[in-house]
Amino acid sequence: MEHGGNLVNRTIMLPASVDEAVEALAVTPGAVPVAGATDLMEAVNAGRLRPAALIGLGRITELRGWRYEDGGTAVLGAGLTHARMDRPDFAALIPALADAARTAGPPQVRNVGTLGGNIATAAPTGDTLPVLAALEATATLARAGAVREVPISHLLTGLDPLRPGELLTWVRVPLLHAPQVFLKSTGRSGPARAAASVALVLDPARRGVRCAVGAVAPVPLRPLEAESWVAGCIDWDARGAEGAVLIDPAALAAFGEYVAGACVPEGGAHGEGAGSAAARLRRTVAVLARRALGRALK
Amino acid sequence: MTDELLNHPGALTGDVRPTASYTLRVNGVERPVTDAWIGESLLYVLRERLGLAGAKDGCEQGECGACSVQVDGQLVNGCLVPAALAADSEIGTVEGLSGAGGASDVQQALADSGAVQCGYCTPGLAMAVHDLLQRNHRPGEVEARQALCGNLCRCTGYRGALAAVQAVADAREAALEAELDAAEQAAAAGPAAEPPAAAPPQPDHGAELPLYADSELWHEADQLIPAQPQGETPRTGGYAYPPTPPHGTPVPADWQQAPGEPFGAPAPGTDPFGTVTYQDAGPYDGTVYATDGYGTQYPGYDATPAHGIRLPEDENA
Repeated sequence: MEHGGNLVNRTIMLPASVDEAVEALAVTPGAVPVAGATDLMEAVNAGRLRPAALIGLGRITELRGWRYEDGGTAVLGAGLTHARMDRPDFAALIPALADAARTAGPPQVRNVGTLGGNIATAAPTGDTLPVLAALEATATLARAGAVREVPISHLLTGLDPLRPGELLTWVRVPLLHAPQVFLKSTGRSGPARAAASVALVLDPARRGVRCAVGAVAPVPLRPLEAESWVAGCIDWDARGAEGAVLIDPAALAAFGEYVAGACVPEGGAHGEGAGSAAARLRRTVAVLARRALGRALK
Repeated sequence: MTDELLNHPGALTGDVRPTASYTLRVNGVERPVTDAWIGESLLYVLRERLGLAGAKDGCEQGECGACSVQVDGQLVNGCLVPAALAADSEIGTVEGLSGAGGASDVQQALADSGAVQCGYCTPGLAMAVHDLLQRNHRPGEVEARQALCGNLCRCTGYRGALAAVQAVADAREAALEAELDAAEQAAAAGPAAEPPAAAPPQPDHGAELPLYADSELWHEADQLIPAQPQGETPRTGGYAYPPTPPHGTPVPADWQQAPGEPFGAPAPGTDPFGTVTYQDAGPYDGTVYATDGYGTQYPGYDATPAHGIRLPEDENA
């Protein structure tokens, strides 16, 4: 199809490149960019959203893959599907993101649901979001004639939100070449929304531990004090040695409690006690964080 | 979340019901869709505009998988695909699984292994099993469970569906081995042996028939409808087809009313079939019609009603 031919129909636009998509978004500011549509159609079916026009991003093949940059960064396309992220070649690259993508939903949803859609929807239970927060990823936002980089955390918290006419195109993720763990607690054994999730990555070059807790708050939470504390408890020099114990089990348990205390507030109006919802959630987060660090250091 | 969506710049501005016209390629046939609202899901368009009711509408949230279809070879939830964005894609539905009317091996295996009870999830399950076996010819138990985890079945408990996966995988492997054996034997018989005769060309109905003619259910429904007796044509010789209408009640030959009698008004005390006499039973006279087998008698009511649930023993029972 000739350039711009896809943009003639103003209610449905199917651009084939980022430039075309940005141009279409500039021409029709009311249009909704659609990638996998799993969150969008759920809202449309429920009557919560009536789009004025749709910009289908599925034809932008450049956004469906990833590339390497500067040797230490992977630039992931926003159109990368969860099913693609689950594949072994990607899992070798960013294991925690692959684990999050694997548990994100049933195959029917993972086949179309995208990384960029997960960020743009910014649902509290979005499974890739704690991983991106722990990895301190940044997003590339494109608009007609301009491109800017925003940390994912600024995007999610609304510190620097997506502006009108902007399109989420790429996600920059540092390649750490170290163990990464994503753990998730759900209400049933099948695919389900997370009650709580923990993403934990090791950064051996900087001797750091980065952890993010998802689904317990509107955005992923980073327990920064617990991270810096536990990084000092790890015997980094023993990494790779046969049979080395990198951390005291008591420190593992304390890390879990530290993370849970930092991310789940006291019961407040709902009362505090062993059986309260807040107490149960805190225990869940504590167990997830303890296990995540334990697996990462195994 | 609701507020955020309604505050989206795309929401509720300008045209309230923007439409689009496009062509969907469903099971290899081009199907035009005109002036459809752009928010219509592929499931809705397939069912309501194209008459392909195989995919079922369960939750409209992507939780149940009853609407599973294939778009460009990928299993997706039809309810979560904007139909307008699926234009130019290859769409496969459960109607495309069954060839010329017969059930596919996947559908037959689901039926044989008891994976079908109420049947609502079955088209989605059939598509999920079909998709799994396309990608993985020998799925293990865990792989099968992972592949079917997006399809909810509240009747059968999935064992039948998992058994069907293994049954189809076994049958396909056996068929492949038999084919290879036959080819080996043919090769061993020497180059002089006649090549097997090409299969006679099958009549291709795909192009002419409407899409739903592919559906197994429609085919079976057609089989259930008996040939209608044609007017007063006398049947010559052989077995005279009993004039039993589809509702199953034999109609006497002289069922027609006398001229002038309005249709549907039975003669006093009789009905058109002449089998039951209408009587006004009058007010309840206290007659006992049934007992529960333990000596308790319920005036006027059977001990266990047809739905099998004993009603409480009060005057309203």
